[in-house]
Amino acid sequence: MSTQNELERIELLQGTLDLLILRTLLLGPAHGHAIAKAIEMRSEDVLQVEQGSLYPALHRLIKRGWISVQEGTSENNRRAKFYRLTARGRRQLTVETGKWEKLAGAIARILLPAEQEGES
Amino acid sequence: MNLWSRFFRRQRMMDSLDQDIRDFIERETQDNIARGMAPDEAHYAALHKFGNVTRVKEDTREVWTFGWLEQLWRDIRFGLRALVKSPGFTAVAVLTLGLGIGVNSTIFSVVSTMLLRMPPVHDPDRLMVLFSRKLGATGGSEDANRSPVSPPDFLDWRAQATAYSGIAAATSFENDSKVTLSGGSEPERVPNGEVSANYFDVLGVSPVLGRSFLPGEDQPGRDRVALLRADLWNRRFGSDPHVLGRTVKVNGETYTVVGVMPDTFRQLWMFPEQLWIPLAFTPAQLGPAARSQRSLSVYGRLKPVVTDAQARSELDTIARRIAATNPATNKDWGASVLTVQQYAIQESNAGTALAFLMAAVGFVLLIACANLANLLLARNANRQREFAIRVALGAGRLRVACQLLAECLLLGLLGGGLGLLFAAWGLHLLRGAFDWNEWSILISEQLSLDRNVLLFTIAVSAATALLFGLAPAFQISRRDPNASLKESSRSATVGRERHRLQNLLVAGQLALSLVLLVGAGLFVENFIEEMHARPGMNPHHVLTASVALAGAAYKTPARQAEFFESVLRNLEKSSEVESAAVTNNLPYTFPGRAKFLIEGQAPPPAGDQDWRLTFAGYFAVSPDYFRVTQIPVREGREFSRADDANSAPVVIVNEAFARKFFPNQNPLGHYLRLTPDGSPAEAGTTPPPWREIVGVAGDVDEYVGQANWRPQVFVPFRQQPEGAMSLMVRLRSETTTFAASLRQAVWSVDKDQPVTDLRTMDRVVRDSGQGDDIMAELMGAFAAIALVMAAVGIYGLIAYLVGRRTHEVGVRKALGARRREVLWLVLYGSMRMVLAGVGLGFLVSLAMPRLVLASFHDVHISHSSWILAGTPLAVILVALVACYFPARRASRVEPMAALRFE
Repeated sequence: MSTQNELERIELLQGTLDLLILRTLLLGPAHGHAIAKAIEMRSEDVLQVEQGSLYPALHRLIKRGWISVQEGTSENNRRAKFYRLTARGRRQLTVETGKWEKLAGAIARILLPAEQEGES
Repeated sequence: MNLWSRFFRRQRMMDSLDQDIRDFIERETQDNIARGMAPDEAHYAALHKFGNVTRVKEDTREVWTFGWLEQLWRDIRFGLRALVKSPGFTAVAVLTLGLGIGVNSTIFSVVSTMLLRMPPVHDPDRLMVLFSRKLGATGGSEDANRSPVSPPDFLDWRAQATAYSGIAAATSFENDSKVTLSGGSEPERVPNGEVSANYFDVLGVSPVLGRSFLPGEDQPGRDRVALLRADLWNRRFGSDPHVLGRTVKVNGETYTVVGVMPDTFRQLWMFPEQLWIPLAFTPAQLGPAARSQRSLSVYGRLKPVVTDAQARSELDTIARRIAATNPATNKDWGASVLTVQQYAIQESNAGTALAFLMAAVGFVLLIACANLANLLLARNANRQREFAIRVALGAGRLRVACQLLAECLLLGLLGGGLGLLFAAWGLHLLRGAFDWNEWSILISEQLSLDRNVLLFTIAVSAATALLFGLAPAFQISRRDPNASLKESSRSATVGRERHRLQNLLVAGQLALSLVLLVGAGLFVENFIEEMHARPGMNPHHVLTASVALAGAAYKTPARQAEFFESVLRNLEKSSEVESAAVTNNLPYTFPGRAKFLIEGQAPPPAGDQDWRLTFAGYFAVSPDYFRVTQIPVREGREFSRADDANSAPVVIVNEAFARKFFPNQNPLGHYLRLTPDGSPAEAGTTPPPWREIVGVAGDVDEYVGQANWRPQVFVPFRQQPEGAMSLMVRLRSETTTFAASLRQAVWSVDKDQPVTDLRTMDRVVRDSGQGDDIMAELMGAFAAIALVMAAVGIYGLIAYLVGRRTHEVGVRKALGARRREVLWLVLYGSMRMVLAGVGLGFLVSLAMPRLVLASFHDVHISHSSWILAGTPLAVILVALVACYFPARRASRVEPMAALRFE
């Protein structure tokens, strides 16, 4: 099982992880572990985030002021740090999403003809 | 997010990171258990999925770093540790730097005090100093033709100039006036100023007690008010708050005190006036003839919107207008406007001397830097392995270089701190030396480590650190780590290029110190020449003092003469006195002048401004003057008691006068007419009498280091009495204890007359050097420091190089080389560099005599002096000695020990 996970584990660029975190928090505040699980779930297990890399990303977002952190209680009454989106973060999410879509579209355009050629 | 909040935030975030990560893994474990794993397996899987915890912590921490700032802090801490670990190196380096920076700070504080201080007035940038200026005079720069302003000119300027919100005048401090303050305790002579009523307003100084002058108080009749300075108030009135309204006697007249001015205030921060009275013009001073009596300093405060240039051109126009309507007195006279800063710089002739001193200490600092660079290069050579390993492990070359620079900065700062301590001590010494006249004493009181000096020191420390740190750091970053790691001292050719740099540095040091030595030698030569040349008189065992008669009793010349006669008689009664005299001017002080006319010789053409043709130094002396001073009277006779107010007018001239105006004749028997400067006769009333020349006296300088003899004339003081005279007493033994008796001799004639300025004649001579002795001492000291530093530098370098070649030397000796051959080998190698440095320095030093001659006037040095030839030899000798000891040590090396040396 581990080998399968390693093969399918796609390396994420630094900035992309930030984007995913922001999007996840759009739905409401969450603690670190919940964010990791949400990303895995939403991507239907394609994206197996190396969970450790979550922490530098979270701190980076805090430093930039896009998310904020608060002590809270989790679902099973344990103390945890909850991260939430700030107003700036919300705005930034729109910006970053736009950039990502542009990038993805461009790459898709380059790849598409090759596929067609490959097929035909 | 600013630095502070980031810092605290980081602390908080990092504190809980451990806990957060543990929680995270705990949750994942729980989830795994829920998926059906065993607890151990669940935990392991969670850890595995998380990744490297340590790396995560590091990466997170990196998010919060301040980048370069943290890096710098880390470098500094590391550098500090490295310095502490090699205390010998650190001590030598800090000491060298401290010395180099210290001398620079000392001299800079003198520069700052003399040239950069602003006077303690309100808004000094808008305060202007106004002068009259003689236009189109031959030779001399504009400043040489500046002169004070006459009362009618001042009043016209004030009425017509629109550029100023206020113009005020004060008696020019060039007049150096003092008044006698009496009534109550002992009479005292204090420097004073007579000023316009709005003077303090124009300057922007507020009184600490009472008020300043009211408008109108500078009119005759309302002008019997006075202002004190705080230290006079303190000293004489005990800071009594009820001093307002008390009366004081100034020169016998009664004045009422109305205010006290702050201690820190001085006219242009130079003249130490302690008392001010209003400047009330007499009718004579307002008349048209008075336009040529130029005696006032004038200040104006510019209106906010007016520029310097506008003010200047306006005043030029006004001056031209006045010249057109008053051609007799004001033809060719214009005006000049300066800011106080410009004035201070130009007026202080010390500018050139200070430039030389700054250059000298600059050289010393450069030599210190070279020493430090060599030290660092040597030290880095030993750390070559360490750097190579760090670079191999991934440190960027730039990082390593930066870390070295941080070390250098630390050294620089430590050196700067030590330098400040040295500077404080140096200033203490200097303060004692600045004492040749009132102005220099004033400067010495103000010498301190002020803000300018501190800033300067910090800047110099940082710049120095960068200077000596760059070369080694640059070198480090260039070397291939591979080569360094493989290198060992067995190889014979070790780092050739590095040695070239070090050799260059040492050669440079030698060149600099040679130039400095030659310069210092020139100043010393000058001073020695000055002191020993042509004394003209015997200044030893002579005590002098000044008495300026004050009071209504001494208004007539006859009474003045009587007073001094009585004092002389009292003095002669004492057994310690060999002879006593009075004179209106001491030798070796700039004497007043008299215009003269020789009977039978054509007067100089009218309008000829060359005063040398019409003026001579003027001395009014008592009969024993030549006996006291031991000035020889070569022809004719001296004055005697018989020459008094009722006998024929006579005069004695000096040899310079005779040479110049009676070139091939005997002056005895000819007649002269004299008009002393400032006497009533100058205004053109009764002409002075024709005086017969009865004697020719030897020449005496008017100041130490005078280049040419100047013409002087002597008259018996009974025929031309004056109120302010100097006493000269030749004592049979040492002079120090006679002061009290001298005062007593004066006070037994009149107890209200203050006796001032008690000095031995030796001291008078020395003071007239105006600090030449200090200049020579300072330059000499700096040159010596430079040479010692250079010698230490050479010694260090040679010792180091020899150390590196120990293995090679061992091999040579094992192969049969003898001691002397090894000695010679080392010496030869080092002498090449020494000769190169000395050669370069010699070439540069050839220009020094010309430079010094051009920069100062009245300098006694010769072009092709032994200094130029001898100094290089001396430096080579010192270098040889410095090289010899390490070379000898090398030659004594035991081959076996050397071969085993790694």
